[in-house]
Amino acid sequence: MSANGSERRLRAVPADRDGAHPDRHRDARGDADVLADLLVRTGRGDQAAFERVYDALAGTVHGLALRIVRDPQLAEDVAQEALVEVWRAAARYRPEHGSARAWVLTITHRRAVDRVRSEQSHADRLMNHGPRHAVAAAEQLEHPEEVVEAMDAQWRAARVRKGLETLTPLQREALELTYYKGYTNKQLAESLGIPLGTAKARIRDAMIRLRDTWEAAR
Amino acid sequence: MNDNVHALIGAYAVDAVTPDERADFEAHLSACEDCSAELVGLREAAATLGEAEAVTPPASLRASVLDEIGRTAQLPPLTEDDAPAARDAGGPVPLAQERHARRERHLWPRLAVAAAVASVLAVGGLVGSTLMADREDQLALEKDVMMVTSAPDAKSMDLGLGTAHLVVSEKMSSVVAMGDDCPHPKDGMAYQLWLVMDDGSKEAGPTFMPDSDGTFMTMVHMDMDGVTAIAVTEEPMGGSAEPTSTEVAVVGL
Repeated sequence: MSANGSERRLRAVPADRDGAHPDRHRDARGDADVLADLLVRTGRGDQAAFERVYDALAGTVHGLALRIVRDPQLAEDVAQEALVEVWRAAARYRPEHGSARAWVLTITHRRAVDRVRSEQSHADRLMNHGPRHAVAAAEQLEHPEEVVEAMDAQWRAARVRKGLETLTPLQREALELTYYKGYTNKQLAESLGIPLGTAKARIRDAMIRLRDTWEAAR
Repeated sequence: MNDNVHALIGAYAVDAVTPDERADFEAHLSACEDCSAELVGLREAAATLGEAEAVTPPASLRASVLDEIGRTAQLPPLTEDDAPAARDAGGPVPLAQERHARRERHLWPRLAVAAAVASVLAVGGLVGSTLMADREDQLALEKDVMMVTSAPDAKSMDLGLGTAHLVVSEKMSSVVAMGDDCPHPKDGMAYQLWLVMDDGSKEAGPTFMPDSDGTFMTMVHMDMDGVTAIAVTEEPMGGSAEPTSTEVAVVGL
Protein backbone atom coordinates (compact mmCIF):
# COMPACT_ATOMS: atom_id res chain seq x y z
CA MET A 1 0.00 0.00 0.00
CA SER A 2 2.64 2.52 0.96
CA ALA A 3 4.90 1.55 -1.95
CA ASN A 4 2.05 2.09 -4.31
CA GLY A 5 1.23 5.32 -2.56
CA SER A 6 4.71 6.79 -2.80
CA GLU A 7 4.93 5.87 -6.44
CA ARG A 8 1.76 7.80 -7.16
CA ARG A 9 2.99 10.71 -5.11
CA LEU A 10 6.31 10.90 -6.94
CA ARG A 11 4.58 11.00 -10.24
CA ALA A 12 2.49 13.92 -9.10
CA VAL A 13 5.53 16.02 -8.20
CA PRO A 14 7.10 18.05 -11.01
CA ALA A 15 10.73 17.33 -11.81
CA ASP A 16 12.09 20.87 -11.41
CA ARG A 17 12.55 20.85 -7.68
CA ASP A 18 15.97 22.54 -7.93
CA GLY A 19 17.67 19.86 -5.89
CA ALA A 20 16.11 20.92 -2.61
CA HIS A 21 15.42 18.19 -0.11
CA PRO A 22 11.96 16.82 -0.71
CA ASP A 23 9.78 18.47 1.86
CA ARG A 24 6.08 18.09 1.78
CA HIS A 25 5.23 21.75 1.42
CA ARG A 26 7.22 21.94 -1.74
CA ASP A 27 5.43 18.84 -2.96
CA ALA A 28 2.16 20.51 -2.15
CA ARG A 29 3.16 23.54 -4.22
CA GLY A 30 3.99 21.34 -7.19
CA ASP A 31 0.68 19.56 -6.75
CA ALA A 32 -1.07 22.92 -6.59
CA ASP A 33 0.29 23.95 -9.99
CA VAL A 34 -0.65 20.61 -11.49
CA LEU A 35 -4.12 20.91 -10.01
CA ALA A 36 -4.64 24.46 -11.27
CA ASP A 37 -3.69 23.30 -14.74
CA LEU A 38 -6.06 20.34 -14.52
CA LEU A 39 -8.90 22.57 -13.42
CA VAL A 40 -8.29 24.97 -16.29
CA ARG A 41 -8.36 22.03 -18.68
CA THR A 42 -11.54 20.81 -17.05
CA GLY A 43 -13.04 24.18 -17.87
CA ARG A 44 -12.39 23.48 -21.53
CA GLY A 45 -14.37 20.28 -21.32
CA ASP A 46 -11.52 17.82 -20.66
CA GLN A 47 -13.19 14.98 -18.76
CA ALA A 48 -9.93 13.14 -18.12
CA ALA A 49 -8.59 16.27 -16.43
CA PHE A 50 -11.73 16.43 -14.33
CA GLU A 51 -11.22 12.83 -13.23
CA ARG A 52 -7.78 13.73 -11.97
CA VAL A 53 -9.18 16.74 -10.13
CA TYR A 54 -11.73 14.39 -8.65
CA ASP A 55 -9.09 11.92 -7.52
CA ALA A 56 -7.03 14.66 -5.93
CA LEU A 57 -9.83 16.44 -4.11
CA ALA A 58 -12.88 14.20 -3.69
CA GLY A 59 -11.70 12.95 -0.31
CA THR A 60 -11.35 16.48 0.98
CA VAL A 61 -14.64 17.56 -0.56
CA HIS A 62 -16.46 14.62 0.93
CA GLY A 63 -14.76 14.96 4.30
CA LEU A 64 -15.58 18.64 4.58
CA ALA A 65 -19.18 18.00 3.59
CA LEU A 66 -19.41 15.22 6.17
CA ARG A 67 -17.92 17.36 8.91
CA ILE A 68 -20.49 20.05 8.27
CA VAL A 69 -23.70 18.19 7.46
CA ARG A 70 -22.85 15.15 9.63
CA ASP A 71 -25.21 12.75 7.91
CA PRO A 72 -23.25 10.40 5.59
CA GLN A 73 -25.97 10.23 2.97
CA LEU A 74 -26.43 13.99 2.92
CA ALA A 75 -22.68 14.46 2.84
CA GLU A 76 -22.47 12.29 -0.23
CA ASP A 77 -25.21 14.35 -1.88
CA VAL A 78 -23.45 17.59 -1.03
CA ALA A 79 -20.12 16.24 -2.26
CA GLN A 80 -21.70 15.17 -5.52
CA GLU A 81 -23.39 18.53 -6.01
CA ALA A 82 -20.17 20.36 -5.28
CA LEU A 83 -18.09 18.21 -7.61
CA VAL A 84 -20.58 18.52 -10.44
CA GLU A 85 -20.57 22.28 -9.83
CA VAL A 86 -16.78 22.19 -10.16
CA TRP A 87 -17.23 20.63 -13.59
CA ARG A 88 -19.99 23.04 -14.55
CA ALA A 89 -18.19 26.21 -13.52
CA ALA A 90 -14.55 25.22 -14.08
CA ALA A 91 -14.14 27.68 -16.94
CA ARG A 92 -14.65 30.45 -14.39
CA TYR A 93 -11.72 29.38 -12.29
CA ARG A 94 -8.84 31.85 -12.54
CA PRO A 95 -5.48 30.61 -11.27
CA GLU A 96 -4.36 34.18 -10.52
CA HIS A 97 -7.17 34.48 -7.98
CA GLY A 98 -6.17 31.53 -5.84
CA SER A 99 -5.47 27.84 -5.80
CA ALA A 100 -7.67 25.23 -7.42
CA ARG A 101 -8.03 23.57 -4.06
CA ALA A 102 -9.36 26.76 -2.44
CA TRP A 103 -11.76 27.28 -5.33
CA VAL A 104 -13.15 23.76 -5.07
CA LEU A 105 -13.42 23.86 -1.29
CA THR A 106 -15.11 27.26 -1.42
CA ILE A 107 -17.83 25.71 -3.56
CA THR A 108 -18.03 22.71 -1.27
CA HIS A 109 -18.19 24.70 1.93
CA ARG A 110 -20.90 26.96 0.59
CA ARG A 111 -22.98 24.01 -0.55
CA ALA A 112 -22.60 22.24 2.78
CA VAL A 113 -23.48 25.32 4.78
CA ASP A 114 -26.49 26.01 2.59
CA ARG A 115 -27.59 22.48 3.20
CA VAL A 116 -27.26 22.75 6.95
CA ARG A 117 -29.25 25.96 6.88
CA SER A 118 -32.05 24.59 4.82
CA GLU A 119 -34.98 23.56 6.87
CA GLN A 120 -35.79 20.57 4.75
CA SER A 121 -32.48 18.90 5.34
CA HIS A 122 -33.06 19.10 9.06
CA ALA A 123 -36.38 17.37 8.71
CA ASP A 124 -34.86 14.74 6.45
CA ARG A 125 -32.14 14.04 8.93
CA LEU A 126 -34.54 13.47 11.75
CA MET A 127 -36.65 11.18 9.62
CA ASN A 128 -33.60 9.25 8.63
CA HIS A 129 -32.27 8.12 11.98
CA GLY A 130 -31.71 4.52 11.05
CA PRO A 131 -28.35 2.78 11.00
CA ARG A 132 -25.66 4.60 9.11
CA HIS A 133 -23.92 3.22 6.10
CA ALA A 134 -20.28 2.55 6.84
CA VAL A 135 -17.76 2.48 4.02
CA ALA A 136 -16.18 -0.94 3.74
CA ALA A 137 -12.42 -1.08 3.94
CA ALA A 138 -12.26 -2.93 0.64
CA GLU A 139 -14.16 -0.15 -1.03
CA GLN A 140 -11.71 2.39 0.30
CA LEU A 141 -8.81 0.78 -1.47
CA GLU A 142 -10.43 0.57 -4.82
CA HIS A 143 -8.67 3.68 -6.08
CA PRO A 144 -4.99 4.00 -5.27
CA GLU A 145 -5.32 7.77 -5.59
CA GLU A 146 -7.38 7.67 -2.46
CA VAL A 147 -4.57 6.05 -0.57
CA VAL A 148 -2.34 8.98 -1.50
CA GLU A 149 -5.10 11.26 -0.39
CA ALA A 150 -5.28 9.49 2.95
CA MET A 151 -1.53 9.85 3.45
CA ASP A 152 -1.64 13.51 2.60
CA ALA A 153 -4.54 13.93 4.96
CA GLN A 154 -2.40 12.97 7.93
CA TRP A 155 0.12 15.74 7.55
CA ARG A 156 -2.54 18.18 6.47
CA ALA A 157 -4.50 17.45 9.63
CA ALA A 158 -1.37 17.97 11.70
CA ARG A 159 -0.76 21.28 9.98
CA VAL A 160 -4.31 22.40 10.63
CA ARG A 161 -4.08 21.39 14.28
CA LYS A 162 -0.93 23.48 14.63
CA GLY A 163 -2.64 26.45 13.06
CA LEU A 164 -5.66 26.14 15.30
CA GLU A 165 -3.39 26.04 18.33
CA THR A 166 -2.22 29.55 17.52
CA LEU A 167 -5.75 30.89 17.90
CA THR A 168 -7.27 32.09 21.13
CA PRO A 169 -10.04 29.90 22.55
CA LEU A 170 -12.58 32.55 21.55
CA GLN A 171 -11.29 32.60 17.99
CA ARG A 172 -11.40 28.82 17.78
CA GLU A 173 -14.94 28.84 19.08
CA ALA A 174 -15.93 31.44 16.48
CA LEU A 175 -14.59 29.28 13.65
CA GLU A 176 -16.11 26.14 15.11
CA LEU A 177 -19.54 27.74 15.05
CA THR A 178 -19.24 29.48 11.69
CA TYR A 179 -16.96 27.43 9.49
CA TYR A 180 -17.97 24.02 10.78
CA LYS A 181 -21.54 24.60 11.92
CA GLY A 182 -22.73 27.13 9.42
CA TYR A 183 -23.64 29.99 11.77
CA THR A 184 -23.90 33.40 10.16
CA ASN A 185 -22.08 36.27 11.83
CA LYS A 186 -25.36 37.41 13.37
CA GLN A 187 -26.09 33.97 14.75
CA LEU A 188 -22.60 33.89 16.19
CA ALA A 189 -23.12 37.27 17.85
CA GLU A 190 -26.46 36.27 19.31
CA SER A 191 -25.48 32.86 20.55
CA LEU A 192 -22.38 34.23 22.25
CA GLY A 193 -24.12 37.38 23.42
CA ILE A 194 -21.50 39.66 21.82
CA PRO A 195 -21.97 42.74 19.62
CA LEU A 196 -22.18 42.05 15.90
CA GLY A 197 -19.05 44.08 15.18
CA THR A 198 -17.13 41.97 17.68
CA ALA A 199 -18.34 38.79 16.03
CA LYS A 200 -17.27 39.95 12.57
CA ALA A 201 -13.90 41.09 13.85
CA ARG A 202 -13.34 37.85 15.72
CA ILE A 203 -13.92 35.74 12.61
CA ARG A 204 -11.67 37.96 10.55
CA ASP A 205 -8.90 38.03 13.15
CA ALA A 206 -9.01 34.26 13.43
CA MET A 207 -8.78 33.79 9.68
CA ILE A 208 -5.95 36.30 9.35
CA ARG A 209 -4.01 34.54 12.06
CA LEU A 210 -4.51 31.16 10.39
CA ARG A 211 -3.48 32.59 7.05
CA ASP A 212 -0.31 34.11 8.51
CA THR A 213 0.58 30.94 10.38
CA TRP A 214 0.16 28.74 7.35
CA GLU A 215 1.85 31.12 4.95
CA ALA A 216 4.84 31.36 7.28
CA ALA A 217 5.06 27.58 7.40
CA ARG A 218 5.48 27.26 3.65
CA MET B 1 -22.10 51.40 5.04
CA ASN B 2 -18.94 50.63 3.12
CA ASP B 3 -16.94 50.13 6.29
CA ASN B 4 -19.64 47.85 7.48
CA VAL B 5 -19.47 45.72 4.39
CA HIS B 6 -15.67 45.71 4.50
CA ALA B 7 -15.76 44.28 8.00
CA LEU B 8 -17.60 41.25 6.68
CA ILE B 9 -14.58 39.87 4.86
CA GLY B 10 -13.77 37.20 7.45
CA ALA B 11 -17.36 36.11 7.71
CA TYR B 12 -17.63 36.06 3.93
CA ALA B 13 -14.53 33.88 3.63
CA VAL B 14 -16.10 31.25 5.88
CA ASP B 15 -19.63 31.64 4.46
CA ALA B 16 -20.90 33.05 7.76
CA VAL B 17 -23.14 35.46 5.88
CA THR B 18 -26.75 35.61 4.85
CA PRO B 19 -27.56 35.68 1.14
CA ASP B 20 -28.17 39.44 1.36
CA GLU B 21 -24.86 40.04 3.09
CA ARG B 22 -23.14 37.89 0.50
CA ALA B 23 -24.63 39.94 -2.32
CA ASP B 24 -23.65 43.19 -0.60
CA PHE B 25 -20.14 42.00 0.01
CA GLU B 26 -19.65 40.77 -3.52
CA ALA B 27 -20.81 44.13 -4.82
CA HIS B 28 -18.29 45.77 -2.50
CA LEU B 29 -15.59 43.34 -3.56
CA SER B 30 -15.74 44.41 -7.17
CA ALA B 31 -14.92 47.98 -6.12
CA CYS B 32 -12.40 47.27 -3.37
CA GLU B 33 -8.98 46.02 -4.40
CA ASP B 34 -7.85 45.67 -0.80
CA CYS B 35 -10.66 43.28 -0.06
CA SER B 36 -10.08 41.28 -3.22
CA ALA B 37 -6.43 40.86 -2.35
CA GLU B 38 -7.13 40.00 1.29
CA LEU B 39 -9.81 37.53 0.33
CA VAL B 40 -7.37 35.39 -1.67
CA GLY B 41 -5.35 34.67 1.48
CA LEU B 42 -8.38 34.11 3.66
CA ARG B 43 -9.85 31.71 1.11
CA GLU B 44 -6.64 29.70 1.13
CA ALA B 45 -6.74 29.58 4.91
CA ALA B 46 -10.37 28.46 4.87
CA ALA B 47 -9.48 25.73 2.39
CA THR B 48 -6.64 24.56 4.60
CA LEU B 49 -9.11 24.30 7.47
CA GLY B 50 -11.33 22.20 5.24
CA GLU B 51 -8.69 19.84 4.01
CA ALA B 52 -7.95 18.49 7.46
CA GLU B 53 -11.27 16.72 7.18
CA ALA B 54 -10.43 14.51 4.21
CA VAL B 55 -11.96 11.06 4.37
CA THR B 56 -12.18 8.42 1.72
CA PRO B 57 -15.39 8.96 -0.17
CA PRO B 58 -17.64 6.03 -0.99
CA ALA B 59 -16.57 4.40 -4.26
CA SER B 60 -20.07 4.96 -5.62
CA LEU B 61 -19.53 8.72 -5.49
CA ARG B 62 -16.96 8.66 -8.28
CA ALA B 63 -19.25 6.81 -10.64
CA SER B 64 -22.22 9.05 -9.82
CA VAL B 65 -20.24 12.24 -10.32
CA LEU B 66 -18.69 11.10 -13.58
CA ASP B 67 -22.08 9.98 -14.80
CA GLU B 68 -23.66 13.30 -13.90
CA ILE B 69 -20.98 15.47 -15.48
CA GLY B 70 -21.52 13.55 -18.69
CA ARG B 71 -25.00 15.03 -18.65
CA THR B 72 -24.07 18.50 -17.36
CA ALA B 73 -23.34 21.41 -19.67
CA GLN B 74 -20.48 23.66 -18.67
CA LEU B 75 -20.73 27.39 -18.10
CA PRO B 76 -18.73 29.61 -20.44
CA PRO B 77 -15.83 31.55 -18.94
CA LEU B 78 -16.48 34.99 -17.51
CA THR B 79 -14.95 37.90 -19.36
CA GLU B 80 -14.07 41.44 -18.40
CA ASP B 81 -17.61 42.46 -19.28
CA ASP B 82 -19.17 40.16 -16.72
CA ALA B 83 -19.96 41.11 -13.18
CA PRO B 84 -16.60 41.66 -11.53
CA ALA B 85 -17.80 40.24 -8.25
CA ALA B 86 -18.35 36.86 -9.81
CA ARG B 87 -14.79 36.93 -11.15
CA ASP B 88 -13.15 38.18 -8.01
CA ALA B 89 -15.10 36.15 -5.55
CA GLY B 90 -12.91 33.21 -6.42
CA GLY B 91 -15.86 30.94 -6.79
CA PRO B 92 -18.94 30.82 -8.89
CA VAL B 93 -22.11 31.96 -7.30
CA PRO B 94 -24.33 28.90 -7.16
CA LEU B 95 -27.70 29.38 -8.73
CA ALA B 96 -29.44 28.92 -5.42
CA GLN B 97 -27.45 31.80 -4.03
CA GLU B 98 -28.34 34.09 -6.88
CA ARG B 99 -31.96 33.30 -6.28
CA HIS B 100 -31.62 33.91 -2.56
CA ALA B 101 -29.82 37.16 -3.07
CA ARG B 102 -32.58 38.59 -5.16
CA ARG B 103 -35.30 37.48 -2.84
CA GLU B 104 -36.72 40.23 -0.73
CA ARG B 105 -36.70 39.69 2.94
CA HIS B 106 -39.85 40.10 4.95
CA LEU B 107 -40.33 39.63 8.59
CA TRP B 108 -43.03 37.27 9.55
CA PRO B 109 -45.46 39.58 11.27
CA ARG B 110 -47.43 37.29 13.52
CA LEU B 111 -45.28 34.59 14.88
CA ALA B 112 -41.83 35.18 16.15
CA VAL B 113 -40.31 31.94 15.09
CA ALA B 114 -37.97 30.87 17.76
CA ALA B 115 -36.34 27.84 16.32
CA ALA B 116 -35.63 26.13 13.08
CA VAL B 117 -37.21 22.82 12.36
CA ALA B 118 -34.10 21.00 13.12
CA SER B 119 -32.31 18.26 14.82
CA VAL B 120 -29.62 19.40 17.15
CA LEU B 121 -27.14 17.33 15.19
CA ALA B 122 -27.90 19.32 12.15
CA VAL B 123 -28.33 22.75 13.34
CA GLY B 124 -26.17 22.95 16.39
CA GLY B 125 -28.41 25.51 17.93
CA LEU B 126 -29.75 27.93 15.42
CA VAL B 127 -31.61 29.78 18.10
CA GLY B 128 -33.30 33.13 18.18
CA SER B 129 -36.09 34.79 16.32
CA THR B 130 -34.05 36.72 13.79
CA LEU B 131 -32.34 33.54 12.70
CA MET B 132 -35.40 32.59 10.76
CA ALA B 133 -35.39 35.85 8.92
CA ASP B 134 -35.54 34.09 5.63
CA ARG B 135 -39.11 34.36 4.51
CA GLU B 136 -39.23 31.12 2.61
CA ASP B 137 -38.10 29.22 5.65
CA GLN B 138 -40.69 30.95 7.76
CA LEU B 139 -43.46 30.27 5.35
CA ALA B 140 -42.36 26.67 5.07
CA LEU B 141 -42.48 26.29 8.84
CA GLU B 142 -45.81 28.06 9.06
CA LYS B 143 -47.22 25.80 6.39
CA ASP B 144 -45.86 22.67 8.03
CA VAL B 145 -47.25 23.73 11.37
CA MET B 146 -50.66 24.37 9.85
CA MET B 147 -50.61 20.97 8.21
CA VAL B 148 -49.88 19.34 11.54
CA THR B 149 -52.33 21.32 13.63
CA SER B 150 -55.09 20.72 11.08
CA ALA B 151 -54.35 17.01 10.60
CA PRO B 152 -57.39 14.81 11.34
CA ASP B 153 -55.51 12.97 14.08
CA ALA B 154 -53.91 16.07 15.63
CA LYS B 155 -53.88 15.91 19.41
CA SER B 156 -53.23 18.99 21.50
CA MET B 157 -51.67 18.81 24.96
CA ASP B 158 -50.42 21.24 27.61
CA LEU B 159 -46.64 21.42 27.64
CA GLY B 160 -46.36 23.01 31.08
CA LEU B 161 -44.16 25.93 30.02
CA GLY B 162 -46.45 28.92 30.47
CA THR B 163 -49.42 28.31 28.23
CA ALA B 164 -47.32 26.48 25.67
CA HIS B 165 -48.82 23.42 24.12
CA LEU B 166 -47.90 20.50 21.93
CA VAL B 167 -49.71 19.29 18.86
CA VAL B 168 -48.91 15.75 17.81
CA SER B 169 -49.95 14.10 14.58
CA GLU B 170 -48.90 10.53 13.88
CA LYS B 171 -50.30 10.82 10.42
CA MET B 172 -48.04 13.79 9.69
CA SER B 173 -45.13 12.23 11.63
CA SER B 174 -44.78 15.50 13.45
CA VAL B 175 -44.77 17.26 16.78
CA VAL B 176 -45.31 20.99 17.03
CA ALA B 177 -44.58 22.96 20.19
CA MET B 178 -45.71 26.55 20.51
CA GLY B 179 -46.67 29.10 23.08
CA ASP B 180 -46.73 32.79 23.81
CA ASP B 181 -45.79 33.36 27.44
CA CYS B 182 -43.06 30.84 27.85
CA PRO B 183 -40.55 31.63 30.63
CA HIS B 184 -36.95 32.15 29.48
CA PRO B 185 -34.32 29.53 30.14
CA LYS B 186 -31.28 30.43 32.22
CA ASP B 187 -28.66 32.69 30.66
CA GLY B 188 -26.66 30.93 28.02
CA MET B 189 -29.13 28.08 27.83
CA ALA B 190 -31.81 27.17 25.33
CA TYR B 191 -34.69 24.78 25.53
CA GLN B 192 -34.40 21.53 23.65
CA LEU B 193 -37.13 19.08 22.73
CA TRP B 194 -36.59 15.36 23.18
CA LEU B 195 -38.59 12.46 21.84
CA VAL B 196 -38.66 9.77 24.49
CA MET B 197 -38.76 6.33 22.85
CA ASP B 198 -40.39 3.20 24.25
CA ASP B 199 -36.96 1.75 25.06
CA GLY B 200 -36.20 4.78 27.21
CA SER B 201 -33.77 6.36 24.73
CA LYS B 202 -34.19 9.99 23.76
CA GLU B 203 -33.97 11.35 20.24
CA ALA B 204 -32.58 14.89 20.15
CA GLY B 205 -35.02 17.44 18.81
CA PRO B 206 -34.52 21.08 17.98
CA THR B 207 -33.53 23.76 20.44
CA PHE B 208 -35.80 26.75 20.81
CA MET B 209 -35.74 30.08 22.53
CA PRO B 210 -38.80 32.16 23.38
CA ASP B 211 -38.57 35.73 22.17
CA SER B 212 -38.97 38.69 24.53
CA ASP B 213 -42.74 38.12 24.72
CA GLY B 214 -42.23 34.45 25.47
CA THR B 215 -43.45 33.49 22.01
CA PHE B 216 -41.94 30.49 20.30
CA MET B 217 -42.77 27.84 17.79
CA THR B 218 -40.83 24.77 16.79
CA MET B 219 -41.49 21.51 15.09
CA VAL B 220 -40.02 18.03 14.79
CA HIS B 221 -40.68 15.86 11.79
CA MET B 222 -40.17 12.24 12.75
CA ASP B 223 -41.91 8.92 12.59
CA MET B 224 -43.89 8.86 15.83
CA ASP B 225 -43.84 5.08 16.06
CA GLY B 226 -42.39 4.14 19.42
CA VAL B 227 -42.38 7.69 20.76
CA THR B 228 -43.92 7.56 24.24
CA ALA B 229 -43.36 11.08 25.51
CA ILE B 230 -42.06 14.52 24.62
CA ALA B 231 -39.67 16.13 27.06
CA VAL B 232 -38.03 19.55 27.29
CA THR B 233 -34.71 20.29 28.98
CA GLU B 234 -32.50 23.33 29.26
CA GLU B 235 -29.29 22.75 27.32
CA PRO B 236 -26.28 24.89 26.46
CA MET B 237 -26.79 27.02 23.35
CA GLY B 238 -26.56 24.76 20.37
CA GLY B 239 -28.23 21.90 22.10
CA SER B 240 -26.89 18.54 23.19
CA ALA B 241 -26.86 15.06 21.72
CA GLU B 242 -28.09 13.67 25.06
CA PRO B 243 -30.04 15.51 27.75
CA THR B 244 -27.66 17.08 30.27
CA SER B 245 -30.25 18.35 32.76
CA THR B 246 -33.52 17.22 34.25
CA GLU B 247 -36.65 17.83 32.27
CA VAL B 248 -38.49 21.10 32.72
CA ALA B 249 -41.50 19.54 31.04
CA VAL B 250 -42.58 16.01 30.14
CA VAL B 251 -45.75 15.12 28.28
CA GLY B 252 -46.76 11.49 27.84
CA LEU B 253 -48.40 10.61 24.53
